Amino acid sequence: MAHDDLIKENQKLKEVVALKSNLISMTAHDLRTGAVAQKWILKMLLDRDAGVINEEQETLLKKAYESNERSIEMISEFLAANQSEDATLSFKFEKADALALMESVISDLTPAAKKQGIKIIYAAPKNKIPELKIDQPKIRIVLQNLIDNAIKYSERGGQVQITINSDAKFVEFSVKDSGIGIRDEDKDKIFTKFFRTENAKKKREVGTGLGLPIIKLFVEKHGGKVWFSSEGVGRGSTFYFTLPL
Amino acid sequence: MPNKKILIVEDDSFLQGLMSKKLMAEGFEISIALTGTDAVKLLDGGLIPDLIILDILLPGMAGLEFLANLRAREALKTTPVIIFSNFSDEKDIQKAKELGVTEYMIKANFTLDELSAKLKTLIK
Repeated sequence: MAHDDLIKENQKLKEVVALKSNLISMTAHDLRTGAVAQKWILKMLLDRDAGVINEEQETLLKKAYESNERSIEMISEFLAANQSEDATLSFKFEKADALALMESVISDLTPAAKKQGIKIIYAAPKNKIPELKIDQPKIRIVLQNLIDNAIKYSERGGQVQITINSDAKFVEFSVKDSGIGIRDEDKDKIFTKFFRTENAKKKREVGTGLGLPIIKLFVEKHGGKVWFSSEGVGRGSTFYFTLPL
Repeated sequence: MPNKKILIVEDDSFLQGLMSKKLMAEGFEISIALTGTDAVKLLDGGLIPDLIILDILLPGMAGLEFLANLRAREALKTTPVIIFSNFSDEKDIQKAKELGVTEYMIKANFTLDELSAKLKTLIK
């Protein structure tokens, strides 16, 4: 195939992918709107806003509420994965303040952590973090996914420790949790698309298995590295990534 | 103490009805606009809300356009605005922050009593 034909085919494929992605996004948003209405109504009924309910009705309503919460979670995961997949199509590198970006993500996720009884511990770096040339929205997704995972897979009363440091060549980020940990036999599959560990599935039924592969892709496109350590099941994990100066 | 005035800008009349019912029961005074354009008319007519709950995706004037219009008004420069949307697109969140939104809340993550509690903390 001639070079011009390849470019045209590539363009067509991009248009098809964009169209599919829009369709997924619109459908998921519509599903989520319906689920929101159910969530609000069920909570109002459980709170007796519409009158007295008996014990059996309360049990049934609670089950309906929990089931609806799982649906919302699934739709939200699906939307986030779709947005991240969209973002894999192109990269735009610009100068950015990595420290400010990280602090902004921490601030966004702190309410969710509090709600789940998880403490976020972050100590500002002692040395000045140099400006980086990055695709800021994508590194935001990396940080959001890592911190969000750390919160979701930790038990109430747990903590998430976040650090940022730099040397002459790289800025290094780390997110340490006190959560479910990673079994030795799962360690080489953790960045594989759609893979979820058995203990992750036990802790949370919902998950796409796309978060970590997308993180790896984004970090490596920046010339950085991502890795993790875990002392085993129930003993937490620490995820690290670097971005070059 | 007089009831606090809340303006809800939401085009989904069912969700808007649920929000109004809950917040009225909590003692708030509610005004409603189904579009950004209707909300502008209410402000032009002299409404000074204590807080605005704003959806992003609205027919005609979108939520972010309304927010820019609002912030250009001297009397409403610092009025708390909660964007209450089902969209969690990073670009929308960034744009809303640049335009001076107070909170960006995803509808699916909150119940109406949590929304009411947030209102109470923002307009003590």
